[in-house]
This record gives sequence, C-alpha cells and structure tokens, in this order.
Amino acid sequence: MSDLIRADAAPATAGAPPTATRPPVPPAGRRRQGRVAALFVAPTVVGLVLFTMLPIVASVVLAFFRWDIISAPRFVGLQNFADIGADPTVRTAFLNTFGFVVVAVTLQLAVSLGLAVLVQSRMPGWLRAFFRSALFFPLVLSAASGSLVMAYLFNQDFGLVNRVLTGAGLPAVPWLTSGWGAVTVVVLVYVWQNFGFTFLLFVGGLASIPRDVYEASAIDGATGWKQFRHITLALLSPTVLVASVMAIISALQIFDQPYVLTRGGPGDSTRTAVMVIFESAFQQLQFGRAAAIGLVLTLVIVAVTALQFRLSRRFVHYS
Amino acid sequence: MADIGRRGFLALGGLGAAATAASWERLTARDIPGRGDDALNIAILGTAQDAAARAGLVAAFRERHPEIPVRVQAIQGADWSNFFAKILTLVAAGTPPDVVVVATEGAQLFADRLAAPLDEYVRRDADELADYFSDVHPSLVEAFMYQGSLFQLPMDFNAANVYHNTAALERAGVGRPADDWTHDDFLDVARRMQRGASGSFRPFFWTNRLWGGVVPWLYTNDTSVLVETRDGGGGWLWDRFYADDPTSASRSGGYRWLDANADDERVVETFEYLRDMVAEGLGSSPAQGGGNELVARFAEGVIGMTPAGGFWVDGLAAGGMGPDDFDVTFFPRGRSQRHQFGAAGYAIMQTSQRKDEAWEWVKFCATRPAMELAMPRPNTTPTRRSMVQASYYSGLGPKHWQVFYDTLDRFPTSGPIPAPPQQAAVETALIKNVVAAVTGSGGGVRPALGRMQRDLELALRSAP
Repeated sequence: MSDLIRADAAPATAGAPPTATRPPVPPAGRRRQGRVAALFVAPTVVGLVLFTMLPIVASVVLAFFRWDIISAPRFVGLQNFADIGADPTVRTAFLNTFGFVVVAVTLQLAVSLGLAVLVQSRMPGWLRAFFRSALFFPLVLSAASGSLVMAYLFNQDFGLVNRVLTGAGLPAVPWLTSGWGAVTVVVLVYVWQNFGFTFLLFVGGLASIPRDVYEASAIDGATGWKQFRHITLALLSPTVLVASVMAIISALQIFDQPYVLTRGGPGDSTRTAVMVIFESAFQQLQFGRAAAIGLVLTLVIVAVTALQFRLSRRFVHYS
Repeated sequence: MADIGRRGFLALGGLGAAATAASWERLTARDIPGRGDDALNIAILGTAQDAAARAGLVAAFRERHPEIPVRVQAIQGADWSNFFAKILTLVAAGTPPDVVVVATEGAQLFADRLAAPLDEYVRRDADELADYFSDVHPSLVEAFMYQGSLFQLPMDFNAANVYHNTAALERAGVGRPADDWTHDDFLDVARRMQRGASGSFRPFFWTNRLWGGVVPWLYTNDTSVLVETRDGGGGWLWDRFYADDPTSASRSGGYRWLDANADDERVVETFEYLRDMVAEGLGSSPAQGGGNELVARFAEGVIGMTPAGGFWVDGLAAGGMGPDDFDVTFFPRGRSQRHQFGAAGYAIMQTSQRKDEAWEWVKFCATRPAMELAMPRPNTTPTRRSMVQASYYSGLGPKHWQVFYDTLDRFPTSGPIPAPPQQAAVETALIKNVVAAVTGSGGGVRPALGRMQRDLELALRSAP
C-alpha cells in the first residue's frame, strides 16, 4: 500500500516547488511553528468564541429561563418549550415558514438556473457582463429598503402595480391586505432579492462544464432537453446541492420582507418563525421564550440540512 | 512559516495584550461620544437632527441650571414599540438613560417596571407647577397616572380628529361636517365624495395601528377591544391642582386594561360598520404598518378624509397644501363622541442616579418658554392650552385649528389609546385581526373578533 502511495505521489511531486520535499522539521521547530500559528489564529478564535460560541451557548441556556431584561432571569425548565408548543401563533408561523421555504426556494432555484443558462448561452461578452451585474444587483440592496419600495408598488389603493392593472381594465388586487396576495408578494420580493447569489453559483457551475462533453453527446444524438437533463443538470448537481442548502437555510430565517411589507399579516398569513422570535423578545419581553423558538428553529435547520446531504448521495454526481 | 522562540512568542503575546488594553475604550464602546460622561442623559425617539433641534432647549436649561450638564441621545425607531425595545436593550446593557421620552403606548410599561413616580417632586414643587396644571387638560394628566401615582408630565398630545380635503368636499357638494355629525353622516359624506371623484380617489383612508385605526371608531361607539377600568387614588393631585375643574371628581388614579373585550356586541357592531364601508369602496382596506405615504397622498388630493391629529399640520404645509386646502373636524359620533388620544412626556428612570437633576429637567420642560422652544412649529399639539392659538397655525391652517384642543374640552371623557404594560403584544393581537374582520364577508366579522379575543387574552396574560 505504501508503495502504491509513493508511486502515485511521485509524478505529482515531481514538478512541485522545493518546499514540498523539505526535510522533516525537528520537534523544537514544530513547537515554534505551532506558536506562530496559534498567535495568528488566536484573534479569530477569540472573536469566534466571544461573539459566536458564547452567544449560542447563552441562547441555549436562556431557553430554559424566563427573562424580561428588567428582572433577574428565573429558571423554568422546559416551560418555554411547552408554551411555544401550545401557542397557535408559533405553530402557524412555523407552518408558514415551511410552506414559504418550499415555494420560494423552488422558485429561486428555477429562476436562477434558467437565467444562468440564458446568460451562459452565446452572446457578446459585454452583454453577459451586464446581465451578470444587473441580475446580481437586487442582492446588494438592503432587504428592508427594497421591501419598503415594494410596499409602495403593491399598495392596493395607490400602488403602481394596481394602477397598471386597472389601466389595462383588470380589477385592483388586494396585494398586501389579503392572505394569498400578501404571501405572493412576500415570496416574489424575497426571490427577487435573493436569486442573485444562486444565479452566480450556477453561472460558475455552468462555466466549469467542459464543452467537449456537449460535443460528444451531440455526436451521440443528444440535443436540447436531453443534453440539459443528462449533462447540464447532472454535472451541475454539486452546485445545485450547495445552492439549495444555502437557499433553504436562508429562507428558513426569512424576516425582513414580511416584517416590512405586512408585519406578518393579514392575520398570521405571513408571520414567520423569526418574526415570532423578534416579537417574543422585543415586543413581549419574553427573551427565554424567544431563545426557545430560536433553538427549535436551529434544530430544524440542522435536520433539514442533514437530510439534504443524505439525499444528495442519490442525486449528486461529482464526475 | 517563520519560526518563533519562546521569548518572541511571549513578546508578541504581550504586544497583543498591550494593544488590546490600549484599544479597550473602543472595544467596550466607551469612546462613543457622551458614553460614560458626567451628564444627565435624555433619550428621545428620533434622529440626530431631532436631537439637534432641541439644542435651543438644552441651552436654555443650561442657562437656568449651569450645574447640570445635559446630553440628548436620539434613538431611532420605526415606531414607539421599536424605540422602547431599544431603551430596554440599553437597560440590559447597563447603560440606561436617566430620562426617556415616553408616549402613551409605553406609559404603563414604564410606570409598571422602569420609571420612578413623580408624586413627591410634584408635591414639593406644587407652587411652581400650579401654572402648568392650570394650563393642561386633566384628561392628559390622568393618562399618565398609574395606580394612583403620576409618572410623567404630558408635553404634547394628538387626538384622532378627521382631516378632510376641502376640494373633495366641494366636489361632493357638501360643506364642512357639523361638529356633532354622526357615523351615518360620515357615510353620506363619503358616498357623495365617491360620486364626485375619479381615478384612484378614496373617500376615507386609514391605517391599521393602535392610534387612528379602529380605536377611534370603537371609542365613539362607547366601547373598546379591552375592558377599561380606573384605579383608585390620585386625589392628592386632583384636589391640589384641579379642585375647580368640574370633571375632577370623576378623575382617577389611572387607567387599567385587564381584560379583553373584542367579543362585545358594540365592538361587533363597529367592525360590521367598517366592513360595510370597506366593501362599498368608501374606505381603504387598512394595510399593516402603512401610513408613511399618507401625508403625501392626502396632499395630492387622492384622499378625501383620514384620521389625524395636530401633528399633521406641518407635514401638510411641507407637502404643498395651503391653509384653505384642508380642514379638520371632530370624529363622528356613534353612541358617544368620546375621542381617542395619545400623549408624550418625560419619564425618570428608576435606575437613574440623578433623579433630582432629572426632575429639574422635566419641570423646566413643562414651562411655557421651554415648550415654545421644544415645539416651535405645529408638528404636534402642545398640552398647554395657552399655546394652541391662532398664531401657532398662522399661514399653515387648518381654519378650525381649535378642534385640536376643543376635543378635550368638549369631550372630557376622551381617553388614551388602550395601552396596558403589555401594549406591544396587545397591538400585535389587535392589528393582525383587523384586516380579516373588515375585508372578509359579513359573516366573517364574528369569527375574526373571536380570534382577536383569544389573541388579546393571550397578550394580556403575557409578561411584563
């Protein structure tokens, strides 16, 4: 076995820089190198521990307390979890979030992939650069300000969208004051603001597919849909996995768009999991309850991501 | 990678520690201007511009109290709830302000948990304050009483009156509504406006929020979504400052909202009225969180009527409306003509180590010269009756500016918006069910109010 490794390694290291064949470093040198490494890594580790790990641990601990900021925290065991389990608003918010994730992520991936394929098709380089920038642009905008503009556009009485519709002889739509209208607008605005990153991932993935694979398949008689399904989609599947994992994690945390556009309404139709975390903490001063909902949401995200990776074994082709 | 010896490692580690110590002020945010300085810290809702606008007020205070340095800290917030949440984070961070501007929305939250009562100070300086109380309507003062104690001196207020576009009324062929117009009269005016209009004109536009949403309609129908009761006590204040006021005997130690009331028949009746109005196209379907575009839309002339208070005058003038382009009247009468109002004033934090100095600030701000400095233009209504004069609205309108203060004088039972300590949760429970109640079918009103009742009960049971 060791011979095999050496035999495989030989050609790879033949052209490598001399450092690759350095003599072994003595133990004292390794310690010195370790110290230098520790010194450089320390600021990041300290930052990570202080600003990421500690808040996570504190948040988990807080989930078992009742705390309103003003009084001292009081240990309540699993009471916060029992409360949120019995709260119909929290249940609705989680169901809304799951429904939103299914629709928005599907739409986001479909739109991103479609546009990436179009942009990667034959066109002048400057036009491709323009489309890449233009389609990425909504992601650069602040989600709150973008949503605020959309709230004006979709206003039932004075919004531009309804003006166009009524101008065309169609009835005005209660975009933000009906359940289905509000959900539609939130999904559309979210997808519009977020597809830019997925689009760039797909553009990169498409660019890495060798052209000769298409040429070979064309010689074999595959064109159009067959090429897209069996070559483009198959070779893009690792990118699709990464894009979908990131899109789902992000969509599960949706907050800005429904908060600015509808404040979760009408009723609870656009209330999401992160919105009830915000409302519990900063409106109702139930920080323990908010932490408990946050912990449940984190576990959901971990479970969904793990499931995705497990399923990916069947659908993702790395070569 | 470069090698490093033990000494070098220790030296670099020491350097890092020294650099960290040197930047400690920055790391702990102690270098933020004003943080930790020896001044009375006053938090207001607004931007740095709003803080700068109070420079004259601060300068005048310094002139009177050179021994009390003051820093006005502007904290931005989308609304009062958002502002209060930020104050609470300051409390949690151990850097609470000494004084906070608190509106009715948060008055009971602060009184219940955060603010110090002013009773002893008011008793001590009663002679100095006599002029203030003689100039301020008792309804406004009562709104800041809680369990028999006074927690704030109201500085400004806004009642929900009805603004109307003069041109829209003229097109409709009707004059300014009478002071005692009714809910039916309101519908009649709206229908006439609708008939004489074109395009996207809407006779009545309203937003879904605690102030100016459904609550004025409920109050004028002699009901509310919460059961309103009063605390005992407060006689020490009413007897001392309002002994001659005919309503003083009915004044209390403050409002209490302990139970939900959304399933009350009068509430159902009010929501059915609003639902019919929306279904007929006379009123807008109230969008949640809306309202920002309202001033501009009203100034454009595409809105016939809307609930607003004295705070609108300056905005409409800035929007290009002349004094005769709009006017204001009382909210239409249902079973009663009790109006809704919101007020604001300074609350002294329990945690403040400078309560005496904070009281000097509060007392100073309640003087007429200070209020004139704080409110040079009508972007709110001063609580001092003597300031609400023709000169204050000169060149801006409206013609019937007297409505703003007459609302309190003519309808002395007018009360604050229902804002218990759990106000944020109550507001969420209210507004999330309003749209379903007023935009669905006629049969949908009761189920929607049933959900509202459930949500309000949950909200009232919640902390704080």
